[in-house]
Amino acid sequence: MLLVLLVAIMIGISAGHGWASPADVLRAIAGDPSLGSRLLVEWRIPRVLAAALVGALLGLGGTVFQGVFRNPLAEPYLLGSAGGAALGATVALLVPLAVPQSLLLPVLAFAGAWGATLLVIGISRVSGAVDAAGMLLAGVAVAAILGALRSFLMLALSDETVSLQIVLSWVLGGVQTPSWPVLGLLAAITAACVGLTLLIAGRLDILGLGETMATSFGLNVHRFIMLAVLAGSVVVAAAVAFGGLVAFVGLASPHIARWLVGPLHRPLLPASALIGAIVVTVGDAIARSALPPAEIPLGLVTAVAGGPFFIMLLAQRLRK
Amino acid sequence: MTALSADKLTVRRGGATLLDGLSLSLGPTGSVAVIGPNGAGKSTLLKVLAGIESPTSGRILLGDRDLATLSHATRAHSIGFVPQHFDPHWDLSVAELVQLGAERGERVPQSAVDATIASFELEGLGARRWSTLSGGERARVLLATVLVVDPPVLLADEPAASLDIRHRLDVIQALAARGRERLSVVVVHDLDLAFASFDRVVLIDRGKVVADAAAADLIDDPRLDAAFGVRFERLKVDDGWLLRARRT
Repeated sequence: MLLVLLVAIMIGISAGHGWASPADVLRAIAGDPSLGSRLLVEWRIPRVLAAALVGALLGLGGTVFQGVFRNPLAEPYLLGSAGGAALGATVALLVPLAVPQSLLLPVLAFAGAWGATLLVIGISRVSGAVDAAGMLLAGVAVAAILGALRSFLMLALSDETVSLQIVLSWVLGGVQTPSWPVLGLLAAITAACVGLTLLIAGRLDILGLGETMATSFGLNVHRFIMLAVLAGSVVVAAAVAFGGLVAFVGLASPHIARWLVGPLHRPLLPASALIGAIVVTVGDAIARSALPPAEIPLGLVTAVAGGPFFIMLLAQRLRK
Repeated sequence: MTALSADKLTVRRGGATLLDGLSLSLGPTGSVAVIGPNGAGKSTLLKVLAGIESPTSGRILLGDRDLATLSHATRAHSIGFVPQHFDPHWDLSVAELVQLGAERGERVPQSAVDATIASFELEGLGARRWSTLSGGERARVLLATVLVVDPPVLLADEPAASLDIRHRLDVIQALAARGRERLSVVVVHDLDLAFASFDRVVLIDRGKVVADAAAADLIDDPRLDAAFGVRFERLKVDDGWLLRARRT
């Protein structure tokens, strides 16, 4: 699978507005001073690596959420993190603030995603429904409210100078091209997220036995669900901050990984991260190169590919 | 000496009283059948005894320690609980399920895991996934998963109810046989199986213990008829009695 990822990354680097041969890429990495090589090193390679890392985060986040809610249709944006992130991004894009947008956007997107999930957990706690169903309902309600808020902001704040198109294209998902230090930060965050989720892998397996059985096996079910949701939403918020709202990767990757390595979470989490990385790397390559010189939002690419997958999955479940 | 005792347990949920000041004392060994009509509180009693649900009032002692003060790991290792319905959300293999059972509480050596798998005749099934198992195989896998840590106390909530008669006999007799060395408490719906297989029978009705006696003594008790709301004919057979219910 690592090999497939490397091939995908190679293709990703080669693909784009102008096609670069693997030899060009190697020459660029070796330090060739020509303009083409510098463009590859400064722009395309970080972008492709960022896509892979965002994909890995989405794969991890999806696996954690499916594990917590024991529902194969769960996806990482379930608990309002998408709505929260979109609201944060809208504020960053439309409200003129003193902080540079390149910094503000990921920070507010992260805060929105994480904050929305905290809000959902808070609501389900206050209403005394700390179980999975209670959280899902609170998540739906919060998502609706945040969506409405975002629409209001978009209508109220847009004028001739700020176009709604930039908000829309962010919501549709797309990996930003990071500088090398930012890419390093993203890599460190991803590695930390892999470690963090592996810490809860064993308990996700126990939870999968059902709440009664899990409790009899010594798991404090409500506290663990809370902990796992918090961990999962850090992962998702990080993915959203760097990659916008990329559809279906978090839903599909755990399924593909489960076919390959089985349902135990210790092998499943890294496998799902790898699958997510492969899917987003390829998707991003398509987004960049399908309609040159324009770029299709990555979220559209993954949704067009992921939609049929989702329908297939649903049909399979209903037939059971 | 008592291994597990319940002291004035009361459980109220949503205005209904499920257990009503129930007290019960269980020794370190013995096979105990819990019987009673639907809604009597049998499942609730078992879940509270296992520490899965907490009582509204009253307390449970495991040995001489309050169950509520024990760590989750100690409780998981000391009390095995077999639920009425078990349906894992992910399609795990037999080996993976038993291994998950072994990983709770203290460390279980691989030889003990293998021995448990052998004792439930699951050797050839290790790689098979849950969804492909028959009802009888599932019951054996569930028991192996719960019993792999060899808990001193086993609480089983009618694990054989949906099985055909041969598999039901296998499961119930395996649970009752465990009572020779450990404590085995089983909710049983089939009264004849309860009286034929277990040493002691506890009759529960409306959240209270109505009768608690050796199986041979309780079979004649008119409280049995009253609790189930029928008139039982006691039919003598070679090694005991059979019950046939008539409407009153």
